[in-house]
Amino acid sequence: MSTEDNNTSDTVKATPTASAAAKPAAKPAKAALPPDPRVVAALANGETIKTALNQKLGVPIVVEVSASKAVPILIIDKAYWVQAVQFLRDDALQSYDYLRMFSGTDYPNYIEIAIHLVSRQHNTALYVKTRTERDLAVVPSLTGLFQGVNWEEREVYDLLGVHFEGHPDLRRIMMWEGWKGYPLRKDYSPFEDLDERGGNV
Amino acid sequence: MAELRSEEMVLNVGPQHPSTHGVFRLVVTLDGEQIVDADPVVGYLHRGTEKLAEDLQYTQIIPYTDRLDYLSSMLNNYALVHTIEYAMDLEVPARAEYLRVIVMELNRVASHLVFTGTYLLDLGAMSPFLYAFMERETIVELFNEICGARLTYNYMRVGGVKWDAPNGWLQKVRDFVLHMREKMRMYHNLISGNEIFLNRVKGIGVITQEDAINFAMSGINLRSTGINWDLRKNVPYGIYDQFDFNVIVAEHGDCLDRYWIHMKEIEESLKIVEQALDKISEGPVLGKVPKMIRVPAGEYYRGIEGSRGELGVYIVSDGKDKPYRLKLRRPSFVNLQILKKLLIGQNMANMIAILGAVDIVLGEVDG
Amino acid sequence: MEMKPALQLPTIEYEGFTPAESAELHRAGVIVNTLEQVKAWARSNSLWPLTFGLACCAIEMMGAGASHYDLDRFGIIFRASPRQSDVMIVAGTVTKKMAPLLRRLYEQMAEPKWVVAMGSCATAGGPYVRSYSVVKGVDQIVPVDVYIPGCPPSPPALIYGLNKLQEKIRLEAAGKRVTG
Repeated sequence: MSTEDNNTSDTVKATPTASAAAKPAAKPAKAALPPDPRVVAALANGETIKTALNQKLGVPIVVEVSASKAVPILIIDKAYWVQAVQFLRDDALQSYDYLRMFSGTDYPNYIEIAIHLVSRQHNTALYVKTRTERDLAVVPSLTGLFQGVNWEEREVYDLLGVHFEGHPDLRRIMMWEGWKGYPLRKDYSPFEDLDERGGNV
Repeated sequence: MAELRSEEMVLNVGPQHPSTHGVFRLVVTLDGEQIVDADPVVGYLHRGTEKLAEDLQYTQIIPYTDRLDYLSSMLNNYALVHTIEYAMDLEVPARAEYLRVIVMELNRVASHLVFTGTYLLDLGAMSPFLYAFMERETIVELFNEICGARLTYNYMRVGGVKWDAPNGWLQKVRDFVLHMREKMRMYHNLISGNEIFLNRVKGIGVITQEDAINFAMSGINLRSTGINWDLRKNVPYGIYDQFDFNVIVAEHGDCLDRYWIHMKEIEESLKIVEQALDKISEGPVLGKVPKMIRVPAGEYYRGIEGSRGELGVYIVSDGKDKPYRLKLRRPSFVNLQILKKLLIGQNMANMIAILGAVDIVLGEVDG
Repeated sequence: MEMKPALQLPTIEYEGFTPAESAELHRAGVIVNTLEQVKAWARSNSLWPLTFGLACCAIEMMGAGASHYDLDRFGIIFRASPRQSDVMIVAGTVTKKMAPLLRRLYEQMAEPKWVVAMGSCATAGGPYVRSYSVVKGVDQIVPVDVYIPGCPPSPPALIYGLNKLQEKIRLEAAGKRVTG
């Protein structure tokens, strides 16, 4: 279930029953490490938010819950990307209204868009991610909710080739129109299309 | 009576222009003197740091971070090493932490001085530029003594700092703090009451609080609108929770407020440097770090309060000694998005005032 | 007329003049030189650079122009327009996006013009030489007269480079071709 830390605890923070952290599955060659308490708490928080999201939107849109140190990570189905982030921003219990970071990463089978949200009111943080295929990468744009991702999305479009639907002005920002290729992709080679790409010395 | 024919003019405030912010291009559509549309074009300094970082070991990336916001290289260095230390749960020795705070806050002072000098230069005043660079020379000479470079320091390492302060350096810093406090009075005498300056920046380029949050702004631009958000206090990192300093917040959100916050933040940074000088103790400056720095697999993001806003580093690691993905959250890049909204309806003279007050550094915008 | 002691320079023996004529010239306070040398003296002592700070080197250029390492004492005044400048100090990394504009600015400068590549990015691509978007040295676009190494070169290094450019201007006027 979780991607990096092998804690599979299903504890929910609000219940009064004793929360027992499940022992991690034994790694083949090392002794089992005790679970990091921050990660355990973060996973619990993540589960709460996942429940709230799924409940609000009616469909199970959260694909995975994991954690990075003390911050929960939710991976959301890209069809519900905008609604999920809108819920997280507008709902009184969540109120994640400040977007700290927006980034895209190229993995072997998918491209992942990650944002880092902060709720100034409740003083909590959350990572929300979505995935898309590498060929024909299309993700709904968040510019309707946060105007601050306008250029960040343009940068991801320019360097990773993800098309953001609903973006008011999607064009290349770092390279110029006519540049071929998406430089941040792992399979980018600067030596292809030598003639068509201007100035490739 | 003859028809008055008017048309809009597209003016290119080109990538090479005298206000020294760097290679930034602004294509404005003008109706007479009024700006009807403004389209910022960036990317003229895009050097591909993030792509280069995927082939470099973590310590080798530190010099590249220097060159992002080249006016506050110490802070950029710290953003990267802090994220790595956070990911690896490394202990940093106390002396290194205090040295880090001292150089970071001095660098913030130097960066704000450059802002003062160049902003006033854009507005037409030559003298504050020369005065500001005089103080900046003193700071830069201090940095030269401690790490050998004037601008791109490459001083921080994962687990501490590279060089210990030479003999007498701490005393020089202390003398500089006293000297700088005196000089702040001189700067205020020179600039802050100047009627022409006030006329040019007061009430210009007002950012509302909702806009600031919606546009994900950070740093001084955010605090000028009245929102109290300083990462040194809200999401404390390093040893900043041990220092007693104020977060300067203004009310109106205009360019004058941003200038005032810069000046007041210089004084707050000097306070922090003094407290760090009092508390610093002897000891090693580089902690126990493995020879080959491998960040455990996973993803980590830490943001610090850079001199222009939230400077963050997002590392996606697969356990190797080189990052799988290194994303730099650059404050000038995000803050600049509000420029289009601020410029529409202004006249040409205000354009330079507004652009200067957003306080961008092109190395950071393009990365 | 009485010549002040300060003006009593040593007698210059000119080729093609007899010693008596040289002494007469010296007494009258007349110096003989080629027009090219006079032009070179004038040009080298009033080099007006184009403000072409691209990246971090621009800050050191500004520092060199500020009051501690004064560039004005060399006659160097920064001009914003290429039409009014003699030398283009390329300070910083040149990206492929910026390259055509750099060429256009170089062409807009009037002769005689020189180019100084300041910093290692302008010299050969610098630390960004393996990047996909960086031109590996500005001499791929414009002819360069002086290269100043450093990352960034400190203001004394920039001043040394500009002094070398001044020497080059004077040497080239004397007919010597300066290549290294």
